[in-house]
This record gives sequence, structure tokens and C-alpha cells, in this order.
Amino acid sequence: MTALSTVPALFKLHRLKFAGLLLIANLALLAHLWLGDSLPVSQWSWTDIAGEGGSALLVLVWIGLLLRGRPAGQVTTLLFLGLACLFFSLWIDTLDEVVELPFGTRWDKWLESGPMPVGFILMTLGIYHWHREQLAITAQMEKRERLFREYRLFDSLTPLCGAEYLRLQLQQALAQARDDRQPLSLAMLDIDDFSALNRAYGHAEGDRVLQAVSQLLVLNLRRQDLLCRLAGDRFVVLMPNTGEQQARVLATELREAVCHLAHRSSEHGERLPLSTSVAVVMAQHDDPQTLLERLNLALARARQPVQARRA
Amino acid sequence: MNAAAGWFECDTRFIPGHFQPGMLIDLALGRGLNSHRLLRGTGLFYEDIVAGTARLSPQQWLALIGNVRTLPAGEDIGFLLGQRSLPGHFGAASHAFAQAAHLHDALDVLIEQRAQLSPLLTPRLEVDDNRLQLHWLDAYGCGEQYRFVLEASMAAVASATRWLSGERLPWRFEFRQAQPRHIEQYWVHLGDALRFERPRDSMVLPREWLHRPWPGASTIAAQGARLESQRQLAEQRLHSSLLDQLHDYLLAHIRDPLNLERVATAFGLSPATLKRRLQKHGTHFQEQLDLARLHVALHLYEARGYSNDAVAAYLRFNDTTNFRRSFKRWTGQSPSALRQLLGWAPG
Repeated sequence: MTALSTVPALFKLHRLKFAGLLLIANLALLAHLWLGDSLPVSQWSWTDIAGEGGSALLVLVWIGLLLRGRPAGQVTTLLFLGLACLFFSLWIDTLDEVVELPFGTRWDKWLESGPMPVGFILMTLGIYHWHREQLAITAQMEKRERLFREYRLFDSLTPLCGAEYLRLQLQQALAQARDDRQPLSLAMLDIDDFSALNRAYGHAEGDRVLQAVSQLLVLNLRRQDLLCRLAGDRFVVLMPNTGEQQARVLATELREAVCHLAHRSSEHGERLPLSTSVAVVMAQHDDPQTLLERLNLALARARQPVQARRA
Repeated sequence: MNAAAGWFECDTRFIPGHFQPGMLIDLALGRGLNSHRLLRGTGLFYEDIVAGTARLSPQQWLALIGNVRTLPAGEDIGFLLGQRSLPGHFGAASHAFAQAAHLHDALDVLIEQRAQLSPLLTPRLEVDDNRLQLHWLDAYGCGEQYRFVLEASMAAVASATRWLSGERLPWRFEFRQAQPRHIEQYWVHLGDALRFERPRDSMVLPREWLHRPWPGASTIAAQGARLESQRQLAEQRLHSSLLDQLHDYLLAHIRDPLNLERVATAFGLSPATLKRRLQKHGTHFQEQLDLARLHVALHLYEARGYSNDAVAAYLRFNDTTNFRRSFKRWTGQSPSALRQLLGWAPG
């Protein structure tokens, strides 16, 4: 059996931050209990407790989701500090409802109202940098997504999107191409004898090959192209504003790039022989599904000589 | 206990946890599913599976599959499981499969050792003058997981026979289901020869491939492994499933008047008990009888070239109209429509 998880849980990176917040919240609670008197339950205002306590709890959930989902860094720290201040304000507010401090106490008002504006300023800074970060990530996602993002359609193995995303993209791209009276071409790439490679070097090595190949293909695309992993070892490139001839040239270059990829096995470091078959079609009056079927058929025809050579 | 009665049911614990279930668990963990969610509701413990001591019932194995299928973007998992699971590392059964001299040998081992190599679906081989057909039948009532199990089973045979024969065999894949949305997975993992909405779930191949010698096969090693696997099968008291044995019985007695009472007696059960046991597997007597009659009818059409009248008479239908109506109920198509679709000789 393999290890339970290959990626370290992100939350572990933030354990100290989270523990610190809980510690401070507890200190505030202790200070209240020590200096004040708890109110009898009959005097509790349940609507206030539910409103303020519930908000505090929700903010804590946000903090949990944030820390579970983000690596450490400036943006995470800013967002965390902002949310932590918000939580703290609401928490003190809730404590006021159940603990009565001696008349004339001022510090609790400061604890309640002070962190709130600070929190909002920190959050604003955090969100501003988050926005910058998003732009940077979107630039990095170029050629792997176009115009819309849907995390549920991300491929589980490679940093690409899968077939369902491709169908959605095709729908849009076909309509766009019709409106602009521009050609649209698709290329399909399939690694030859990938199953033999899996048997010989193990499935983990096969997965690494797929990851390496997808990175390599991305490097060899133009800015407007989109690469998806259709299934298994089969990739599809969507090429807007591209005629069949040009698409064929690009597809051939992709095939050659994979041929020249010196992927070495992680066990013994020997080079794995890689070759691919490619096929190209230009969209006519297709819907996404028939276009993909046509492309798949073209690939089957392109592969026949490969199989005949082997036989 | 059913084992004493000579068959397995869906709650008989006979599937070693570190066989196919272990492979699926590896795949799912690699996709980031945690082991608690994976085993939730199965009554299994991760430690027992790793230790190799867990035995799963078909029900538990199906529950595990159900949990894995909650993964997003998991349409390929059945196929990936299949590609890993044959010949597999299941002791003598896997050795015997891997040493097969040709396809026929391999399929014989697969069928004989199905309790280990294909516990949930029963492969049945039918060979006529032109082609071989490997039909897949539900052995324990897979229910919602049937498609997943079928994808895994077909991918297993396609991938293993390709590897062992050293060439891509031109299998044609036939499915009862309509074309699924994730058709690209079928293209990549099975091939382009796919047919949907057919009367059976089958893999079809021209007969000439059946006895082509496979490279790397060794007669002595193969014989030894085969005998060893047969010994193990007997020692471990691995029986076939109740549904399997019922299907065999119905096929053998298809021309006799068949009803629940008679069949129950033959199985040493009361009619109520047989009814309950079938219910447990998500089926009932009439469904199983119809399935057997359909298989016989298709065999008569395809292999013997029978006409509708002849098939109806063989199956002891009172008249052909009645038979045609039944046939349409079994397959969704009339015999003549299917005849056209499948290109049988006109009857």
C-alpha cells in the first residue's frame, strides 16, 4: 500500500497561527471570568448570544477553510490576521452577554471595538494581494484554461482539465468560430503502447510520464491554444483561429517534442522510449460530441500504420 | 451457512481484501480520498486489509466501490482498476493466467478461477464457427455499481490479453447500456469498436485469435500453475455464486416446465427461502428465467440460424407472437429488429 497521502496537509503549516488565536481567545475568556461575575442563565439574552456567538463561529470556520486550503505566505497571513481580529471582536462581544464585568470597566470595550477596524484593514490588504495573486495564477494557467474556471472539472492527475471541461470549452469555441467566421481545429495526441509502459515500469511511473508530457505539451503551445487530457494517455489541443494545415504543422511539432523528451524512470534512471500518434480535424458543422468522435476516428486511422508496423 | 450448501451468496466473505479491493484502495488514496471515508459503512478496517487478513463479501466490496465512486472526476477508476487486476498477484490463479499458451487457455483459467480473478462478474465463453464471445453476467447483484464493475472487468481482459499476446486484439465491445457520457474513457481504455444498446454485455473476437500461440508461454510451467490453482480452488472451498448455479441449472433445463417451486426443490430450499435469497441479490425468479431464455434464444439465432418459429418452439412458447412479445420485453427490441441490427441470417 502506498503512503496515505503524498501532499502534506496544508493545515499543518498553520498550526501555530491557529493555536495562538485559540490561546488568546481563551485568555480573554479567563480574564472575563476572573474579573467579572457570570450572569445567571435567566438573564442571558439568547438572541444576542446566537447572533454574536454564531457570527464568531462562522468566522472561525472561514479561518479553518482558509488555513486548510492555502500554503503559507503573505496573502495567507494577511487574510488570517484580518479574520482573526474579526473573530476576536465578535468573541468578546459574545462574552459580554454571559459575563458581567465590574461597573466602569473600559478595557473590554477596547477589546471589542479595537480589533474590528484593524481586522477590516488587514482583510482589505489581504484581498488586494489575493487579487494580484489570482492574476499571476491565471497567467500561469494560460493554455490550460480559457475564460472560465471550474475546479470540479480539473483532472485528478495532471495539471490540466478533463473531457467535461473540454466539451464546455468546445461549445463556446465553436459558437465563437462561427460568429467570427474563423476556422477552428482540434488535435489529438495519444502515447503509443502506453499500457506496455505501465506494465514494464509500473503505474506510478506511467503517471509521472503523463505529468511530464502534459507539461511539455503546454510549453509547445501558442498562447491561445488550450490543452486538456481527454482520458488516460490521450490529449486534445483546441486551436482557435487555426486552419487544418497549420494545425497539422503544430501537431507534428508536438509529436516530435514528445519523441525527444528524455523522461527517465525514477527507479533506475533509464530513458523511457516515448512516441505518439496524432490526428487533426477542422471543425465544420459539428457539435462538440460529433467533433470529438470525428477526431477519435481520425486518430484510429492514424494509428493503424503504427500497429501494422508492429505486427 | 451457504458455503456448506455449495454456493456463495452476496454476504459470503471470500474476497481477500488485499486482492482487487487493495488495488482500488491504493488508487483511491492516490486520488486523495482518505481511508475513513473510503471504508465508511463497509465494516472493514484499513489495518486488516493491509495485513492481508480481511475477507470481503461481495456486498462489502460493492460498498467500497460505491464509496470510491463519490470521488470527483473518477470516471477512469474502473478502467484503471481493471488494467491492474489481471493477471494480478492472486497466487496460483494469477500464475496460471499469466502462463497461458493462448487466448483460449487464458479464458479457461479466468472462468475456472473467477472466484479469485473476477469475483463479481461471471465470464461465460461461447465459441461458434466464426467468433468467440465472452459474456459477462452479474454474479451477486451489483446494482448501481454494475457499470463500474463491468468497465473494470472488460478493461482487465482487454489489457491483459493485449499484454500477454504482444499485440492489440481486435475485440469488439457490446453493452446493454446506452452510450455513456464519459465515452472517451471507453475509447482510450477499450478501443473504438464499441456497440451500445445490445442484448448482452459481451466482448467479441474473430475465432482465429483463439488458438494463436502467445509468446513467452511455457507448457510445463503453465500445466503446473494450472494444477496448483485447481488444488487451491478445492482446498479453499471457493464455490461459484448462487446466481451462477441457478443460471446453469436453468440453461440445462430450459426445455422443461420451470417454476420457482421445482427449482427450489432442486436446490434443496423451500420456495420461500429461494425467493428471499434471490431478493437479497436484487433479483427474482422470473428475471433469472428470462435471462436464461434470452441467452438460449440468442444462441439459437446466432449459432444455429434458427427462425423465430423454431426458437419459440424450442423454448416451448405456445405461439410465436407470444414469444416475440417476451423477447421484446427482455431486450427492448423485437427479434426482427435485432436480426437486422446484428446481421443474423434471415430466419
